[in-house]
Amino acid sequence: MRNTDAALLWLCLTLAALPALGQTAGAQPTGQAPLPPGYAGLETCAACHEDIANAFAKSPHNIVETDKKRGFAGRACEACHGPGEEHAESADAAKIRNPAKLAAAAADKLCLTCHLNTPTHVGRLASSHAKDQVACTTCHKMHSNGGADLVVRAPAAINQQCAGCHQSVWAQFQRPNHHKLPEGAMSCVDCHNPHGSIRPAMTQAFGANEPGCLNCHGDKRGPFTFEHGPVRFEGCATCHEPHGSANPRMLTRQDVRFVCLECHANLPTANTTGTIGVVPPSFHDLRVPQFQNCTVCHQKIHGSYVDRDLLK
Amino acid sequence: MTAPRLLLALMAVPLLAQQPAPAPTILAPGPTAPAPPAQAPPTPAPATTAQAPPTPAPSTSAPAATEAVSPVPSGESWFSGYIDVGYTWRSDVGGSFDAYRSIVNLGSGPKLIGADFTILDPKHRLFDEVRVRASGWGDDPYELFHLDAKKSKLYEFSADYRDIAYFDFLPSYADPLLARGVTLSEQSFDTRRHFGSYRLDLLPGNWIIPYLAYDRDSGSGAGVTTFVTDANTFPVPNTLHDTTNLYRGGVRIERRRFHVTLEEGGTTFSDAQSVYQSPSATPAAANLGNVTTPIFGQTTELSSLLANYGVHGTSVYSKALLTASVASWLDFYGQFLYSEPSTTVNYQQAATGTLLSESQLLFYTSQQYLVSSAAKLPHTTGSFGAEMRPFRRMRITESWLTDRLHDSGSATSTNTLAGLSPSEQMAALLASSLVTNYNQAEVDVFYDATSKFVLHGGYRYVWGDASDAVLPAAGLVSSDEAKLRRNVGLGGVTFRPSQKLSLKAEAEVGSSGGAYFRTSLYDYEKVRAQARYQALKTLNFAADFMALINNNPVPGVNYAFRTQQESLSMFWSPGKSPGKFFDFEGTYTRSTVYSDIGYLDPGDLQAETSLYRDDAHIATALFNIKLPGKAARGGARITAGGSLFISSGSRPTTYYQPLVKLLVPVGKKISWFAEWRYYDYGEVFDLYEGFRAHLMTTGLRFTPGPRATP
Repeated sequence: MRNTDAALLWLCLTLAALPALGQTAGAQPTGQAPLPPGYAGLETCAACHEDIANAFAKSPHNIVETDKKRGFAGRACEACHGPGEEHAESADAAKIRNPAKLAAAAADKLCLTCHLNTPTHVGRLASSHAKDQVACTTCHKMHSNGGADLVVRAPAAINQQCAGCHQSVWAQFQRPNHHKLPEGAMSCVDCHNPHGSIRPAMTQAFGANEPGCLNCHGDKRGPFTFEHGPVRFEGCATCHEPHGSANPRMLTRQDVRFVCLECHANLPTANTTGTIGVVPPSFHDLRVPQFQNCTVCHQKIHGSYVDRDLLK
Repeated sequence: MTAPRLLLALMAVPLLAQQPAPAPTILAPGPTAPAPPAQAPPTPAPATTAQAPPTPAPSTSAPAATEAVSPVPSGESWFSGYIDVGYTWRSDVGGSFDAYRSIVNLGSGPKLIGADFTILDPKHRLFDEVRVRASGWGDDPYELFHLDAKKSKLYEFSADYRDIAYFDFLPSYADPLLARGVTLSEQSFDTRRHFGSYRLDLLPGNWIIPYLAYDRDSGSGAGVTTFVTDANTFPVPNTLHDTTNLYRGGVRIERRRFHVTLEEGGTTFSDAQSVYQSPSATPAAANLGNVTTPIFGQTTELSSLLANYGVHGTSVYSKALLTASVASWLDFYGQFLYSEPSTTVNYQQAATGTLLSESQLLFYTSQQYLVSSAAKLPHTTGSFGAEMRPFRRMRITESWLTDRLHDSGSATSTNTLAGLSPSEQMAALLASSLVTNYNQAEVDVFYDATSKFVLHGGYRYVWGDASDAVLPAAGLVSSDEAKLRRNVGLGGVTFRPSQKLSLKAEAEVGSSGGAYFRTSLYDYEKVRAQARYQALKTLNFAADFMALINNNPVPGVNYAFRTQQESLSMFWSPGKSPGKFFDFEGTYTRSTVYSDIGYLDPGDLQAETSLYRDDAHIATALFNIKLPGKAARGGARITAGGSLFISSGSRPTTYYQPLVKLLVPVGKKISWFAEWRYYDYGEVFDLYEGFRAHLMTTGLRFTPGPRATP
């Protein structure tokens, strides 16, 4: 009898445990662990925020919900918004974290919890966006358009987004000589890395550390046997307005000779000014049309493979 | 038996306590059913967006309300997006057709005007999603194609191809023969460049992600350039052909606490430019640069020419990137980048004619010039930095950067001149060196006084040296060197008193003890300020101000430079849902540039001033009206606007680009559109380079999938 009672006792204990297991599974249809205290779970959020939840399901961020390793399965909303139980019970907007209302650095910190350790953010310290309190959510819309606005891809959409803040830069593209952004042939991120870059003005790089301009202007890459110093020392923007200009070839001056003469100033001695290229190599009569555009003869102005004077 | 009964009763308690699981309001996809990917957002045809002015970005908090009503596609379809096809007519170009081609270059013909669509595979066989964008196909100057394909946790692939026409023929730019009545830009070209970029990432989402990529940049075409030898210059045709291939591969290791990216890559490069002049059968076909006025009793002419640049290059590079979250208050960032491109050149030139040797004041009849040269450019870049958060409201960032570039080259040449008595052969060996070492250290402190008020202060020190030399020496100087020393103070403030208003200002003040060039930044102040205000839910304003003042007071330089830009923009979209009836976005920008620096005229060494002024007014506007229509089809839409640019100063210019576009749904899946554009370009000093042209485009937009949101 004692054995029978003992067997029955174990059977009952085992059976008693089953509903408990079932209860856990029933509360978490996705098979996740019980929610930590204070958390409401995605389904609770979706009950009120159905549009956002449906959009979120189509967003790349939905991986937070589906990938158990990330630690937020079943409560993806609260990965960014924090514990939402109190908000769910009270429906009080003040009782949940809204990243849009946080200071930029605090909002960024939420994003960087997952995204810091990726190659995207390796140039973050040099990013003027990070320094100027431009939060990630300024460009990356978490919920809108089914996640398609999380990262805009079409050149015209990228340009419109950047131009929203950089209006005066966008205005330069309306000048007659410009890189073809208004035409949709390029986008701002073809030349700039909005997350930061070690190159000046957050410009992109070609290969490892060469100027991003060379991504399209490969014929100017060299290395040349005879280099033109400014191209290497201060980059293309020494002579060109990269966004747009009224001057041909997007030059910084109306005539080529002024671009040249402002550095090659023909000073009688070399280093009184401590700068490079101030002494002329020979006589040029600027009254003769041939000499009014220096690049007519010095045609290899970006660097020459064969001629020290950049003539061929 | 009491105990088992008790236990059976207890067993029932949890069953009673168990509540039915709430019916899920959304279907959370399980691991075997990845989330359906995002729908491609319907973007307007590129032609419409061409001059779309910037929309004032709402404050970061503002989107919350609109996001909640974001247009989520109601159902899944294997295809969504649009395809625009049509035909463009260009009117006769009034004025300079060459200037039109140099600036606009759009032509007539049938075109694939734009396409942006997404294809989903519900069974997730080869891919989950493929997104395609294309525009400008049909002999437009900018033909683009982009494809993204991905399969969850297996791969992500992207391909980008662009075919860009580069045309430039502005006689005013380089016409040394204008005085003789010859209108010819001796720096002109008509080429096409082709860019291909392909990348494959494997195992996305995994902690280790290998990737491979290939990029190709090639250009070919023809142009006009100048053949220069001794004192002789002749405009000659040239052919251009260059190709760069970039191969790279690497691995990303992404862990919770750190990330490392290691990449190796290499390039091959070739440039086969050639310059030629065929022997002229008739005097009319003679080279335009022939000098018919005797010099030292003789005219000069170029009878024939063939010159080839045989340039080949290779390079390897290495890249190592690191980020690490060392502690909750400390993050590290580091990069090491190394590249070493090199080139070898075999240049061959043969010319005949009557040519003047400047050094000997003698004439010769033929020249053979051979050059073998090589160059190597090792380039090392390293950076290291940290972000520290010692207190809740304070962040400190510190970074250091070094960039070292050492170019060295050598060239051996043989120059044989015939027609002299005796013939002369000259050999030369030149060595060149160009070095720059750039360093930068910066520290910044950010203080969140409140969640709405952030202060930023920082200090940057920049130093470096540069040298440029060619040996043996020629002229007055064979080597130059300069030092860079600059102290920069940084400051900024961000104030967001409410969700509707945000203000930002930042300033940078630099003081230098040395700079590389006369026009480099020296003693400067840079200021930028921004303001955004959401006056109504439907009305946003933004203002932007930027100024740079740079002065170099060093005797012999005396450089003064000022530039200033102010922009004001507005976005108005009345109605409960944005754009329901109409919306308007417009921006006005005023831009000024003033530059003043002296130089000595290289002819007579008299002091001259290079004074540059540019005072520009730029406006862009776009007005969208949505006409009422059947709900299923959506209403017709009219878009009108464009841009204008008016400048005065050193190169007074006007450039107008108005446009009107009409989009009318004609079926459930088809819309008809028509567009008119006008280009009007004018210059005050070079009137003959102005042009005017109309472009009319009409076509059909196909939206086979769910109806695109207008």
